[in-house]
Amino acid sequence: MFLHIFTTRLKCLMRDFGMMFWTALFPILLATLFGLAFTNLSSLDTFKEIPIAVVDNAAYQMSPGLKPALEGVSSEGENKMFLLTACSEEKAAQLLKDDKIKGYLLPLEGDKLRVVVKESGISQTILKSFADHYLQVSSAYKEILMQNPSAIQALMDTTQKDVNYFKEVSTDAKPDDTLVYYFALIAMACLYGGFQGLKEVSAVQANQTCQGARVNLAPVHKMKVFGYSLLAAVLIQILTILLLICYLYFVIGVQFGDKLGYIILAVVAGSFMGVAFGAMVGAVMKKREGIKIAVIIGLSMIFSFLSGLMFPAIKYIVARNVPILSYLNPASLISDAFYALYYYDTLNRYFLNIGLLFGFSGLLFLIVYFIMRRQKYASL
Amino acid sequence: MVVKVENLVKRYGDLIALDHLNLSVGEGEVFGLLGPNGSGKTTAINCILSLLKYDKGDIEVFDKPMTPTAYELKRNIGIIFQNVAVFEELTVYENIDYFCGLYVTDKLKRKQLVEEAIDFVGLNDFCKFYPKKLSGGLLRRLNIACGIAHKPKLIILDEPTVAVDPQSRNNILEGIQKLNRQGTTIIYTSHYMEEVEQICTRIAIMDKGKIVASGTKEELKGMIKTGEKITVEIFGAECAQTVGIKNIAGVNSVECVGNTLVVKSQRGKNNLTEVVEYLKQHSIGYGKIFCELPTLNDVFLEITGKQLRDNA
Repeated sequence: MFLHIFTTRLKCLMRDFGMMFWTALFPILLATLFGLAFTNLSSLDTFKEIPIAVVDNAAYQMSPGLKPALEGVSSEGENKMFLLTACSEEKAAQLLKDDKIKGYLLPLEGDKLRVVVKESGISQTILKSFADHYLQVSSAYKEILMQNPSAIQALMDTTQKDVNYFKEVSTDAKPDDTLVYYFALIAMACLYGGFQGLKEVSAVQANQTCQGARVNLAPVHKMKVFGYSLLAAVLIQILTILLLICYLYFVIGVQFGDKLGYIILAVVAGSFMGVAFGAMVGAVMKKREGIKIAVIIGLSMIFSFLSGLMFPAIKYIVARNVPILSYLNPASLISDAFYALYYYDTLNRYFLNIGLLFGFSGLLFLIVYFIMRRQKYASL
Repeated sequence: MVVKVENLVKRYGDLIALDHLNLSVGEGEVFGLLGPNGSGKTTAINCILSLLKYDKGDIEVFDKPMTPTAYELKRNIGIIFQNVAVFEELTVYENIDYFCGLYVTDKLKRKQLVEEAIDFVGLNDFCKFYPKKLSGGLLRRLNIACGIAHKPKLIILDEPTVAVDPQSRNNILEGIQKLNRQGTTIIYTSHYMEEVEQICTRIAIMDKGKIVASGTKEELKGMIKTGEKITVEIFGAECAQTVGIKNIAGVNSVECVGNTLVVKSQRGKNNLTEVVEYLKQHSIGYGKIFCELPTLNDVFLEITGKQLRDNA
């Protein structure tokens, strides 16, 4: 029975060309237009090594640890963080003045280290963090060598671990707005899955379609047919969004980071949300189908606008001034899941978004269930 | 009894759609539910099928109470709705297969049933067609196939011939009779009295949510005074000149509209000769003359005081 209903509903959904246009083709067309508009606008967000200098003075030469530490983070490899120039203090000052470097390190006698920068920013913060960490570790080494030489190995084990100079905050560099557009576009496409949810509700409601009446007369529970049909709708929606993401990645060149599993999880969560949203509109509203479609489109566009589809700054404005709205707007949750996945090293914010999406989807499906579970109608 | 309805009451606010409706349908019958639009036929069917809530009454199907979860009963019921209830995205074959699949899970058995249904309605050449490519008549046939493919013991047809061309209508009616000959009980609702007369073994006439008369068509016609109806095309005379026909013994009523004169006589009386004689005596020219027995419309007219057709 499951396969029979599931496969038939898949066919129905895939052959509904009007709906497939809006859910699959329209977002791709919009993405193409975005791509044409944003070409070459931004190449931010791939991490580039920070150009710095170190003053090659006597203190630098005398320091036992600074040189190897700097070489460790400026030699080729995945840990490469700095483009290092060793030079005189005058040369370093000149490079800084000419904006050729973000800052320079001035080793001083007594294993002291001064960081010289011209302005504040993410690169300067990273340089300062490095310097602080170096001073802290070298001081610890000295102390332990004097007081408890036998503990030096434990200290070495600790300090040789990779140090993360980043933390989970958005950079003070302005994020790439074009990505906000694309992530909001994905959110909009997810919410367009509402058309599928609406279609499945109509297909089993005797007071909405004759087909629904026929389903109600069959010797199988209506909610069983509905459940199987919804799964088909969610699957179609997931495939549709994956297609959009593939198009964005391979054709438009939008970067999503390398966490493929989490990207797919976000797609699944967004698809559930979209289908649940449409199913709820279909079940709650007692109007004709055209009005329900208009409501789905209207709400999707409002949600998408607030998540930055037309004006990326609105995302930050809402987040700053009405943060609760960001947590209630499904389009914001979807786009922010992709945003967090791409911009943040940790997954806390991503999982908060995904959790809320699944939670809201579950709540909407529950509402739909309680409305649709009735088995007789007051009128047809 | 295949269907038994007792004291069924259904209200929509102040409007009483079904007013203490009683009916019973025996096994093997073709039961006709005849009435004008809005008389409550479809509401009665929807209540019997447990789709609609009702205010009062008892409904039994196959001698068991009908409920939305009476799946064993539902398994033996087929429904053909007034509106075509198929999916536009599925072909003829897929539509029949989908709805049949809700009743029959065995694939092989289902395949056989679907092919038999296609054969039965004569859609063999259209299996891969989508509904929008079918004519109105073929679409109705598909609608019927979707309702009967699982071989139900009771088939309910709710005005299945609305907006259907005469040829397709005949096909549908012949098909229903064929199903009945195979042992299926049929409930057929319509406001087309000719169809009901043609195929139904028993008829109930509905008006304002009530059964106003029921029986075989002969029994129904026996309930009214009119035994024969003479329709005459007249020329060169005023309707006022025909009033005297009413004085002929056995004539119940005389109606004259334009150049059409309708004379209704009592049962057992044949007034044709007297009517023609009257026309000659009064120099009223006449053309075509038809004599016919009363129709169900006459029955409805006499019982309710209004035309069945006028409301259709």
